[in-house]
Amino acid sequence: MDIELSNDDLSFEAEVREFLAGNAYKDGEDPNKWRMDWFEKAREKGGWDVPKWPAKFGGPGWTPNQHYIWQKETARSSTPWDMPFGLSMLGPVLMAHGSEEQQDRFLPDIRARKVNWCQGYSEPGAGSDLASLKTKAVLSEDGSHYVVNGTKIWTTMAHIADWIFCLTRTSDAGIKQEGITFLLFPMKQEGIEVKPIITLGGSHSVNTVFFTDIKVPVANRVGAEGKGWTYAKGLLEHERTGIAGISNSIVALEGLKDKASSVKRGNGSLMDVSSFKAKVAALEIDLMAVEYTELRSLATASAGTAPGPESSILKLKGTDIQQRIQKLTMEAGGQFSAAWGGTNAGPDFARAGMGGYMGSRVYTIYGGASEVQKDIVTKKVLGIKSSKK
Amino acid sequence: MNFDLSEEQQLVSDSIERFVLNNYGLESRVAMVQQSPGFSLDHWKTMSELGWLGLPFSEDDGGFGGDQLDTMVLMEQFGKGLVLEPFLASIVLGGGVLKRVASESQRKAWLEVVIDGSKQLALAYAEPESGYEPHNVAVAGNKTNDGYTLTGTKCMVLHGKTADAFVVSFRTSGGVVDQSGISLALIPADRDGLTVQGFPTVDGLQSSELTFNQVSITADDLLGEIDNGFGALNEVINDGILAVAAEALGAMEILYKDTVAYTQAREQFDHPLSDFQVLQHRMVEMFMEYEQCKSLLFRATMEVAAGGDDAQRCVHALKHLIGKAAFFVGENAVQTHGGMGVTEELRVGHYFKRLLVIEAQFGNTDYHLDQFST
Ligand SMILES: Cc1cc2nc3c(=O)[nH]c(=O)nc-3n(C[C@H](O)[C@H](O)[C@H](O)COP(=O)(O)OP(=O)(O)OC[C@H]3O[C@@H](n4cnc5c(N)ncnc54)[C@H](O)[C@@H]3O)c2cc1C
Repeated sequence: MDIELSNDDLSFEAEVREFLAGNAYKDGEDPNKWRMDWFEKAREKGGWDVPKWPAKFGGPGWTPNQHYIWQKETARSSTPWDMPFGLSMLGPVLMAHGSEEQQDRFLPDIRARKVNWCQGYSEPGAGSDLASLKTKAVLSEDGSHYVVNGTKIWTTMAHIADWIFCLTRTSDAGIKQEGITFLLFPMKQEGIEVKPIITLGGSHSVNTVFFTDIKVPVANRVGAEGKGWTYAKGLLEHERTGIAGISNSIVALEGLKDKASSVKRGNGSLMDVSSFKAKVAALEIDLMAVEYTELRSLATASAGTAPGPESSILKLKGTDIQQRIQKLTMEAGGQFSAAWGGTNAGPDFARAGMGGYMGSRVYTIYGGASEVQKDIVTKKVLGIKSSKK
Repeated sequence: MNFDLSEEQQLVSDSIERFVLNNYGLESRVAMVQQSPGFSLDHWKTMSELGWLGLPFSEDDGGFGGDQLDTMVLMEQFGKGLVLEPFLASIVLGGGVLKRVASESQRKAWLEVVIDGSKQLALAYAEPESGYEPHNVAVAGNKTNDGYTLTGTKCMVLHGKTADAFVVSFRTSGGVVDQSGISLALIPADRDGLTVQGFPTVDGLQSSELTFNQVSITADDLLGEIDNGFGALNEVINDGILAVAAEALGAMEILYKDTVAYTQAREQFDHPLSDFQVLQHRMVEMFMEYEQCKSLLFRATMEVAAGGDDAQRCVHALKHLIGKAAFFVGENAVQTHGGMGVTEELRVGHYFKRLLVIEAQFGNTDYHLDQFST
């Protein structure tokens, strides 16, 4: 057991810090140009624009320690916004199951952040029970294309996405996990309607998406027909580790302490109020532990195994921590957290604190709700099988 | 021992329930929220015509002689529809101070028009640095020949934008956190030097910030005795806590019942969600939280109405329990609805948002636990 950073690690850390400091956003810069330049420079560093991609596909091939350093440092720096759908979700699926032609066709644009993807999994009747999805893909008689009909829901960023990776049903025979096929197609085409869903923070990120007779060439099918479920499952495990957001929580916790220290209570600040202080401390202790749970899981991953069921544990703990940070931030803002714009009352951070807290409720719902994660741990980790046949 | 409503209270409760059912569907509420002034003037008129606005005032003042129990009955039903009209601000809070300490001429000038709904009051006591302590008052009255001038800020003044006059706390002696030395005045909204900035809160209600810039008040504006305003202010805040606790109870009833109904209708894994034991037990706990709140609401309201020795402790206990339950019931209602729970389309999220605001109003869950234990 040894988590000391080696001299090599320390010089890597210095290099990362220098890169991040040297390329931070400067006031007045065109944000879009900065973003594209940032990724370009990261690429020149040897795959830093795609840290998690394997070396074979242009990634940096870092050790677990290097990944840890990168996460830690980027969480506290200004880095450009990025979307996980192409980069961290579809990318790995294509690398593992896509044809060489598909890899050449899609990966470069994902890497260049030129094409935005969205994830078409959930349906009105298929949320937690994703395998019951019904969006139909029927192979044409000449075998050249599929015709897709159906409805997806909760599709994040569908309204700005160029392409969708979509789970479709190609067969009703056998158990429902069979007969699911993984298709890729453009979003900007006739027969696709995108309807916004407004969530409690008042914002629009998710949508309902309707497909009417969409033609998808067979060349856009990833892997074999009917095997989409297996590919998607691996992808969900990647998604879950991302959602845990532990490095970000470490930074957010420091932010919370600063905020609470700025709120006057009696002769001191809110951080001197014992009940509040105790809640922050309990949160910090959980976070200290989960940081090492993540490191342990990184170490397993570096031994060559893909993120497994332990990604469920990370998701459960990581999202709980994120929600508690939001809740305590709201609490620190006191009654001012209730304000919904149009006022300067109270501390700056407080305004819309309740919006932030409401927004954080989705963390335990998307990417597989907490209850379902616990089912996965029950079965896969504890080895408990339902005795009912 | 009797926990039943009186025949009269039952009638009022039924008629409010009907009103809420007929007028406060989610769509209608959203439409009212989006239109100035953020509630329905027609509903406000109806409420006065049905006598609800006069409920907690004495017959001498033109009311119906009700007490905190009558307000509880009304607020619980309001909570089931998240009613937007300024009953709490104008009747319970503003009116609550007036009925306790206003002079004969102030009563004549204001109570009739408050009860008929043609004028509104609001209570301005919180300040940027007062935390949750109502006795933490920094806005000072500077003595002049015939009264005082006020300078400073009052925050989170519920329904301030539509108020015709404000009940304002200010300091006339003592240190910033002393209970003595706090005075009260009734200040018309159009008084020189007073600015009211309105803004919405996340629950769809309207709040405001008041800026006082050398606002003059005379002896005629004073409410009750100089330096002795805290007693009345505190009683009114206790009434406010009882009122929002009753409202929260109504909202929690909707949340747990909607969750039970949703899990029976929604199927996943070839079962209604209500077949899953982890969800069953969760809903049982939501229900138990609701019942515990109801018990303590009854206890605290009766104790306050009877002027019992334990009244203040009961109010602290109630506000603590309501806050704790609000988080538990609200978070679990949203979680159990899955993605649907976080949309504006279903009402659960709206009820949860109202509970969040109530939790932070008049002192939050931790504050009242601390008060209870000291
Ligand atoms: C903001 C947001 C963004 C999203 N983005 C995307 C996206 O980009 N692409 C995409 O495909 N999907 C997306 N989703 C969908 C998300 O993955 C689903 O919401 C999630 O899988 C839950 O499904 P559901 O909402 O249908 O809830 P349901 O499955 O109906 O579940 C409701 C509740 O019941 C519980 N439950 C279900 N089954 C069981 C059981 N067997 N035992 C115990 N409890 C159970 C659940 O845990 C949950 O609490 C997004 C969702 C949200 C809210």
